Amino acid sequence: MPGIVEYLILGAVLFALGLVGFMSRRNLIVIFLSTEVMFQGVVINAVAYGRLHHHMEGQAFALFLLAIAAVEAGLALGLIMLLYRQRDSLDAEAWSLMRG
Amino acid sequence: MSVETLTICGIVILLAPLAGAVLSGVLGPRLLRGSTHWLAIGGVGLAFITSLVLMGQVRGAPPDGISETVSVYNWITNGTDAVFRVEFLIDPLTAVMLITVTGVSLLVVMYSRDYMREHGKPERGYERFFAFLALFVFSMCALVLGGNFLLLYLGWEAVGLCSYLLIGFYYDRPAAAAAAKKAFLVNRVGDFGFGLGILLIFLTFGTIEYGAVFHMVQEGVTGSGDPLATGRVTTIALLLLCGACGKSAQLPLHVWLPDAMEGPSPVSALIHAATMVTAGIYMIARCGAIFTASPFAMTVVAVIGAVTALFAATIAITQTDMKRILAYSTVSQLGYMVLGVGVYAADSAIFHLFTHASFKALLFLAAGSVMHAMGGIIDVRQFGGLRKVLPWTFATFLAGSLALAGFPLFSGFFSKDEIIHHALMVHPILGVVGLVTALLTAFYTFRMVFLAFFGRQRVPEGVHPHESGPWMLVPLVVLSIGAIGAGYVGIGADGGVFHRFLTPVFAHTFAAHSPASAGAHGVPVVEHVGFWAHYGLMIISGAIAFVGIFAAYVLYLKEDWLPGLIRSIAPRAHRILWNKYYVDELYDAGLVEPARQTGRVCVGLDDYLIDGLLWLITAIPRAVGYLARTYQSGMLQGYALTMVVGIAIIVLLVFGA
Amino acid sequence: MTSVTAILLYLVFALGGVGVYLLLPKPGRSQVAAGATVGALALVGLFVVLATQVIVPDTANVFFYLFAAIAVLAASRVVTHPNPIYCAVYFVLVVIAVAALLVLQGAEFLAVALVMIYAGAILVTYLFVIMLAHQGGSPVYDRRSREPAWAVLAGFVLMAAIAGRAVDLPASASPEPVTVTTAGAEGSAVRGTEGNTIAMGEAIMTRYVVALEIAGVLLLIAMVGAIALSQKPVPIERAPGAAKPKPLGQVGREVEPF
Repeated sequence: MPGIVEYLILGAVLFALGLVGFMSRRNLIVIFLSTEVMFQGVVINAVAYGRLHHHMEGQAFALFLLAIAAVEAGLALGLIMLLYRQRDSLDAEAWSLMRG
Repeated sequence: MSVETLTICGIVILLAPLAGAVLSGVLGPRLLRGSTHWLAIGGVGLAFITSLVLMGQVRGAPPDGISETVSVYNWITNGTDAVFRVEFLIDPLTAVMLITVTGVSLLVVMYSRDYMREHGKPERGYERFFAFLALFVFSMCALVLGGNFLLLYLGWEAVGLCSYLLIGFYYDRPAAAAAAKKAFLVNRVGDFGFGLGILLIFLTFGTIEYGAVFHMVQEGVTGSGDPLATGRVTTIALLLLCGACGKSAQLPLHVWLPDAMEGPSPVSALIHAATMVTAGIYMIARCGAIFTASPFAMTVVAVIGAVTALFAATIAITQTDMKRILAYSTVSQLGYMVLGVGVYAADSAIFHLFTHASFKALLFLAAGSVMHAMGGIIDVRQFGGLRKVLPWTFATFLAGSLALAGFPLFSGFFSKDEIIHHALMVHPILGVVGLVTALLTAFYTFRMVFLAFFGRQRVPEGVHPHESGPWMLVPLVVLSIGAIGAGYVGIGADGGVFHRFLTPVFAHTFAAHSPASAGAHGVPVVEHVGFWAHYGLMIISGAIAFVGIFAAYVLYLKEDWLPGLIRSIAPRAHRILWNKYYVDELYDAGLVEPARQTGRVCVGLDDYLIDGLLWLITAIPRAVGYLARTYQSGMLQGYALTMVVGIAIIVLLVFGA
Repeated sequence: MTSVTAILLYLVFALGGVGVYLLLPKPGRSQVAAGATVGALALVGLFVVLATQVIVPDTANVFFYLFAAIAVLAASRVVTHPNPIYCAVYFVLVVIAVAALLVLQGAEFLAVALVMIYAGAILVTYLFVIMLAHQGGSPVYDRRSREPAWAVLAGFVLMAAIAGRAVDLPASASPEPVTVTTAGAEGSAVRGTEGNTIAMGEAIMTRYVVALEIAGVLLLIAMVGAIALSQKPVPIERAPGAAKPKPLGQVGREVEPF
């Protein structure tokens, strides 16, 4: 895969950083923000692959990803508001009902 | 004796009491209740009549056909050679034993009809009693009729079982339950040796039929034809002796018999005086070939018999419970019988067995009559002057006592005399022991008589002694006739009817090996001795009986302050005798307590070791679960972590690192 | 078959993992300085590896390094900063850096769209929510992390796995940005003009129109859903004597039958 390896590695780095944030932070908002960081990594990857194959598919996919990300952000924030109203806390550890 | 007749007789003798027992058990509780005794009387009575028929058959047999083994059916087959049959050995010994057993049993059953009632109403468990009694008769007949060691052992164990059931008849009394357990366990110890002996017989001779085994022993070969080692025969004899010691209450396994008096008096009379305890002597007499092949074993037998006789007699002179006195007396008399077989006088031993059956059963039944009259009291110190109130009981009791004491012309006199005579010839020391024991026997017997029936009335308040009914008195009278007259079948120049009848049985065994026998081996001979040697002993025995009775009279009737004086002079000796030489306490400390401790150790092991092990095993799933629980924390991020780890692993593995 | 490059990359990533671990919020004294130093070192190492092993030397590369550095540093601060507002702002920086990288790759339309939608819309929403759910001071869940060591380990192992695989591929001259002529779209609408936006427009209106419509529907649903989610149940205050409310499901006025 000529010329895009560095972009792939960068995409992996951003994705993994977002993953680390998702797994380790306790603030619900920061968790979702980390998810958005993961999205950035994926966008870079998608566009790089599109460039490789000389096709618009990569960029179109990234555009739709963007749309989905927006949808997800909106709904997630609505849910966070609901959760915050329930427990009066943004702590992810307050919601461990799936225990056991 | 035709085989068919013998087979039918044998089967009837066995099955009649068994049917009586089963029917009593089944129909008794609901249907018959107070009439259950008829079933037992019918069964045992039929057995008795058939025994008489059998006796007639044996008496009418030609001298060389006097012993017959009839096989009824093959019980256990091994396919190849080992076959265990149900077979009967019918010979004079069998006939005598059967008559004794069934006759005394019949009288005891009749006696029990009134004894097991209170104020005319049957006691609780009335039907059970007769069922067990009839079952016992069946077991004893099986023991006696058996033609191989298997049937002997079967009957042996079955009488042990019936003894347990009947001693513990009043099972809600702790003393009775404990006594029953003790009897069974002590018998078990003896039966263990007995079983080992039978196994050794099978291993050595390859068969357990009486005829084959005795023939091989006398030839001196084993089952495979090799010569028989004396050590092997001695071992077998001593192991069989273990069983006899257990069943016939010899030292050191005598401890169960006095405690067995917790059972009702008919049980004591039948089982622990006349029949079951004599099974040991019967067994030794039957296996004469084995015992006589080992002089060492014979000596052991004689010594055990003599020592037991003296031992028990010394204890009996201090006891105050009437049935206990009689129990120790039984142990002592059984010692005499064992001594008899030990000095090669098997026919005398069986003769003594025969007479003892009648007078000891009589004494026990009469004691039961006294107990019944006195409302359950059995302590002789609380009796006194009862001969005026219970005349019939007194008369029969006196007859039995005179027989037991060896008063001249009563049956006990003749039979005991013969044993002592043979003992003096073979082991003189043991003969002297026998004479001393005879003195003590007379003494304690009449101590009992004088304390209970003579003197002033020491009856406590609220007890009104009354004579018993005919159902109890008639058997007493019949037995007293036996006590008086049974001896006469055994006297005569060459031993009388009885001994002549039994001679063919013991000719090749006891009589042949006896050092006192004047004839050579293989020649059946009854010794003829001079006037003084034979009649001299009779005079001495008679004198001993008189001296004993007189001593008892003096100590307990005339100067009844003397026993107190003697007790204060030698308190230690009195205490030892009163506590039965502390044998029970010895066993308790030496055997029972260690067993209990072992049990406690085992319980501890079970609780800590095994349960701990189990706990460890169950701890593993619990630990795993405890660890696995952390994965299900309910935290989304924890799950995400696991997912990421999984993806990393997949990427590494699938796409290559 | 790990090549030398892959091993070097692993070492660099390990260093980076240590740095991120140190940066994560933990109780007690914060180790931001140390973490920042280590992280910067790791980044430098990564660029060295990339420069020497992976990238074909070119003058345009310096922009790649610049914007990649901004992106990585800002992203690491997004996930490690204790204050969520700072996280959001750092995220804006990430978005801008990524947009620049997209421009470098020739995807201008996407870059602008990214900035408009992310930085303009999504981040503003995030900031509003943060302010709504603000809990004065520094709450405990901002000061601590959940199992930072395991999270860093898992994340960086994944990173190493993916990057290590990517690195095995041969490098050569950078491909050209995608335009209309290179996109291969059938029936190009505008002849003779080139440009990424035109190419993108052609692509999503002809080849991917169904996806476009579905995306639009999805956005509508999300809007409706968001409104439904965020409604607060308000107790109805009725004046005494007022008419009782209509039963559920009924439309219009209640009319008597006859």
